[in-house]
Amino acid sequence: MDKIICLGKNYSDHIAEMKEAAPDMPLLFLKPSSVFREIKNQETIPLPWERGLIHYECEVVFKLYKKNIIGLGLGLDLTLRDLQKQLKEKGHPWEMSKVFKNSAICTPIQGVRDFLNWQDTPFVLKINGEVRQESKLSKAILKPNDIIHYVDKFFPICDGDLIFTGTPSGVGPLHPNDLIELQFGPIESTFRLGNENG
Amino acid sequence: MDNRQLSHDILNILERLRIMHDLIKDNNYEHIPKDELLTDLNENLDLLRTKFDILSQ
Repeated sequence: MDKIICLGKNYSDHIAEMKEAAPDMPLLFLKPSSVFREIKNQETIPLPWERGLIHYECEVVFKLYKKNIIGLGLGLDLTLRDLQKQLKEKGHPWEMSKVFKNSAICTPIQGVRDFLNWQDTPFVLKINGEVRQESKLSKAILKPNDIIHYVDKFFPICDGDLIFTGTPSGVGPLHPNDLIELQFGPIESTFRLGNENG
Repeated sequence: MDNRQLSHDILNILERLRIMHDLIKDNNYEHIPKDELLTDLNENLDLLRTKFDILSQ
């Protein structure tokens, strides 16, 4: 994988909960492949809690080959929210709040045809057994093909790149030892959050 | 070409081969027709050999 391409503000309900103005088009930003973490079921994933509040954003993930969506996953785009707020206030880039080890967590990728009508398949994030985010890709502002065309205008798309397609409402903070469950059609992954030093 | 760029190219080819492996293993030609995929496979295998030859010199 060359990179992870992320969309921001691609769900109206998330824009509303953040109390931010809706842009003409969703925002784009990148995460390097070095922050990617594919979930191994029941594992513990460490995060840098000492750096401040870490927010989850649950998102459908596309895997691309020749600009085709050949696989789907369900991911968590993680954000150091306090730091991001400070950076936004100063008008600085946000990379420092978005790029840290394990800040792009994703289930194993599943072939598109393993889903029935994947754009209308609900995706769910549960934390400690409680549903925190639930939506469908069909509720997003940009539709899948439009996402790829839009990204293609700005970034070179490489085979194996991932697109995190934006998050619906319900984002919030994570805590050490949280039990995370991700469900999307045939995909079910469970893991726990741990400390960076184990 | 420096070794770092070669390594980057090789890892990208391996990523493409992994994707092709998954598509061919699953007999999945919905997105890329089989003929095109097999042509890509041969091209990438040739390219991989070339890059490794240069890397090992």
